[in-house]
Amino acid sequence: MHTLWLVIQREFVSNVLTSRFMIGFIVCLLSTAVAVFVQVDDYEKRLSGYNTAVREAQEETRTWELYVDIKPKAHRKPNPLGIFNVGTENFGANTVTVELSKPIFEFVTFPIWLAPTQKRGSDNPFLAMFLTVDVVFIFKIVLSALAILFAYNTISGEREDGTLKLVLSNAIPRDIVVLGKYLGGMLSLFPIILVSLLVALLIAFASPVTGFDSNDIAHIILIFGVSLLYVSTWYLLGLVLSVWTKEAATTLILSMFIWVILTSVHSNVVTFAVEKFPLHPSKSEQAVLQPAFDVWDQFRKERDAYVKQRGYDDLKKSITWEPGTVSTGTGSGSMSGGYFLTESYSVSSVSKADTSIFQGILGYQEQLRIAYANKAEEILKEPAEAREQNAKFADALSRISFADTYHFAVGAIAGTDRQRYNDFIADSRAYKREIVEYLKDKKAFSSRAWFSTDKGAAELTDLPVFKQRRLTLSESFSRASIDILILLAWNIVLFMAAYVSFLRYDMS
Amino acid sequence: MIWYITIKEIYHNLTTLRFALMIILLPLLFLANALIYSLGGHGYTTQINAHNRQVEEKRKHIKAQADKSLAELALKGPGEIPKLPSRLTFCADGTDELVPRAVKMISGGSSSRSGQDRTEDYGWTPPWTLEYPLQSKVGSAMQRIKIDWVFIGVLMSFFAILFTFDAIAGERARGTLSLIMSNTVSRGQVLLGKYLGAFLTLTVPLVIGILMNLLLILISGNIPFASSEWLRILGMVGLFALHISVFIFLGLFFSSRVSNAITSLVWLLLTWVCLAFVFPSLLGTFVGNLNPIPSVDEVSMRREAQLKQLGDEYRPFGGSESKLRQAATAENPEAARLWATYFTKEIETKTRFNDGQIDQQFGQVQLARDITQISPITTFQYAMEGLANTGIVGYMNFVKQARRYRETFIDFIKTEDQSDPESLHIYPVKEGLSQKPVDPAAVPVFTEQISYRNVLSQVGLLVLFNLLFFIIAQVSFLVSEVK
Repeated sequence: MHTLWLVIQREFVSNVLTSRFMIGFIVCLLSTAVAVFVQVDDYEKRLSGYNTAVREAQEETRTWELYVDIKPKAHRKPNPLGIFNVGTENFGANTVTVELSKPIFEFVTFPIWLAPTQKRGSDNPFLAMFLTVDVVFIFKIVLSALAILFAYNTISGEREDGTLKLVLSNAIPRDIVVLGKYLGGMLSLFPIILVSLLVALLIAFASPVTGFDSNDIAHIILIFGVSLLYVSTWYLLGLVLSVWTKEAATTLILSMFIWVILTSVHSNVVTFAVEKFPLHPSKSEQAVLQPAFDVWDQFRKERDAYVKQRGYDDLKKSITWEPGTVSTGTGSGSMSGGYFLTESYSVSSVSKADTSIFQGILGYQEQLRIAYANKAEEILKEPAEAREQNAKFADALSRISFADTYHFAVGAIAGTDRQRYNDFIADSRAYKREIVEYLKDKKAFSSRAWFSTDKGAAELTDLPVFKQRRLTLSESFSRASIDILILLAWNIVLFMAAYVSFLRYDMS
Repeated sequence: MIWYITIKEIYHNLTTLRFALMIILLPLLFLANALIYSLGGHGYTTQINAHNRQVEEKRKHIKAQADKSLAELALKGPGEIPKLPSRLTFCADGTDELVPRAVKMISGGSSSRSGQDRTEDYGWTPPWTLEYPLQSKVGSAMQRIKIDWVFIGVLMSFFAILFTFDAIAGERARGTLSLIMSNTVSRGQVLLGKYLGAFLTLTVPLVIGILMNLLLILISGNIPFASSEWLRILGMVGLFALHISVFIFLGLFFSSRVSNAITSLVWLLLTWVCLAFVFPSLLGTFVGNLNPIPSVDEVSMRREAQLKQLGDEYRPFGGSESKLRQAATAENPEAARLWATYFTKEIETKTRFNDGQIDQQFGQVQLARDITQISPITTFQYAMEGLANTGIVGYMNFVKQARRYRETFIDFIKTEDQSDPESLHIYPVKEGLSQKPVDPAAVPVFTEQISYRNVLSQVGLLVLFNLLFFIIAQVSFLVSEVK
């Protein structure tokens, strides 16, 4: 045990005293600090945009008097952990307008009139052409380079210097040497990661808007752990190469080459190739519009048939008027963007009308409309689903590089990955179902307050509010578990490789 | 003597591991680039077809309006104006998916009022304004590094570092540097020889890769080349050379500065990471804080507020307070003039907000670009984009020309209108303008002029980087110890 400690100590001291330690430390610290500074500012903007949007939506809620008017909004709450890993925070829609007769879907390339999913609060879409840099990006690129710079000469360097023979001529087993070198290297990388992350946290805390709670802190600690695992993978890779090659310079060049491939070439080539040659070729967004239009034709047919079956040519005819009333007071408005169809009715001189049958038919018709909106949704969400499948495929291929595995793991923990974004869209669909259930419970579809306020306005005080559930630590962990396991597996494999190769190492 | 050193350097380089690695990676990347861009989805063929369709639609639109009357054409506008897609996106993609493909100069819909007391019935076309629709509202762009020539160029700068980090420090460590110096050879010559050696080792495989890439693209036949494209590609090869040379000088500088080859590589590597990733991105996003502009929502809110104010002032939809109770007719020039004032104000408000907003956004991007050019890698990227006519600068030029076309078009309408004696010459009211059809062929056509002048400044900057690094490498080598 004592010898192990001695090896670790020696490795640690020899690392810390080098110029690369100082340079690496400074570069890592400075770039992390600037990145966090920029990202905190970005988060503040997102948060104030979100707060304004929520406030405006609340004010709008107060103006609704009829059930037919309600258009609640689902806003995506900015994630404070986005400061460390931006991920999908600035990507995609952040407001979904829930309208009963409108399908919820996303079109990316084809503009849609009155689109249900919208992005608010970006001040310059063109600035998106600069890569976003966050803490995790810096860790992914800079820390990995540092780990290699620490590891490349552990064995081959000592062999060149001739010190390896001296070390092994002592009564130290080879496995202790490998283990000691690994632990010593990690020990010298540890303060760099720790201090960088602490500085990042400090800057983040200095901002008045970032309130991290214990859940967030737990997530950050988990990110720290995964970052350590990631750095350890690179260190072990450097160690293995150092055992396998004879000269330190060769080790360095080989590991730098692998570093470039894994951090910047592999995933970009793969993602780009999948984008251009998609595995699941999707219909164009324009092409799915027509079938969605047809859905609404079917709706009209089925609705008209029902009204006829009840014995009326027209929904409006189902209102019976008190004798002597001139029944011209029924107005209707309809709006259709092709993929949706809203209709509203206003009955003037409503006090003289018996609208019970009218209400009954409305109760059937509006629920039918929602059912058809869901049918249209099934069709319209196809392109986004195909896109998602392609993206998943590209992700799976990217995972070959553990640099990307690390990025995915952190994204999953921070809750800023694509999965979490899709959750938001799914949550807003669930929210719509919740609203529909709420209205059903109130029998709102067949109530008079659907179209008129004469017997009291719609009762909307307990209208459900959109809430995006936060993930607990264990949920985040289980989402990231595959990626963490892959990283762990790489660690074990590389360590075994280093261990076995060093045991068989030829000293001559 | 220089030549001897160069040859020796090249022979030395050819046998190294890094050369083997480079010679494997380069063709692979060029191959991937050629395959992806020539055969992949949303390639040049798709883009040019979409463009031609849009041009055809625009022509039809102009013909349909011009056949009706000059007034109709004046109010409906010339239509949607598409930007010519670049054939050279495979050289520099320039985040093309973020760059809008067209601007709009078309009036949307019509408005009317009827059946009100003391207000004459009237239907009108709200006049067109120049609009700048975004390419994608939702912003799908997550993955932004494309496998284009620029990316390969960035990797080449990395290889430039790998080939030079030990050029001097390594010889010094082996003790061969003092042997070279004992000959009748000046230090400048040694440095130049090393430079040329590394330069040739890097550029020859690069040029071979480029030729392979072009050959594949030509065979696929999906991207047709004209002579101007060849010239631009030649220019790009020149840019590659300038870019690689900057990093060779940088490598030689660090290599002569430090005693140990490894230390020099550590410095170089961290410098490279900063220049390639950290600086451009951080500075680029930092501009948002440096020069904040109002958000898109804010601008559109203010725009709507002003338009509403204007509407409240004139009340075009009637009402007792309406200034526009009378309909604009050929017999009532007074009313037509009032409508013209209203429309002009509306156009002016919309134009002020639309142009102002995009100008502010461009201003931010321009500032960000200016700042990020302190990295030679970014300068190289911008120069490549400039030559390929992709990226934001191409769009900025396009917008400038679209604005000029807007003036040309309005001038055309006004001059044409003057030649009709029956017209009231009140722009932009339908009843105030000539009702005679115009010859569609006489309507000015938008033609995009592509200017490559911007590239000159970047080329100048790259030359400057070369000079600077050459001088510091030279000086540092001159004053360095041989042992």
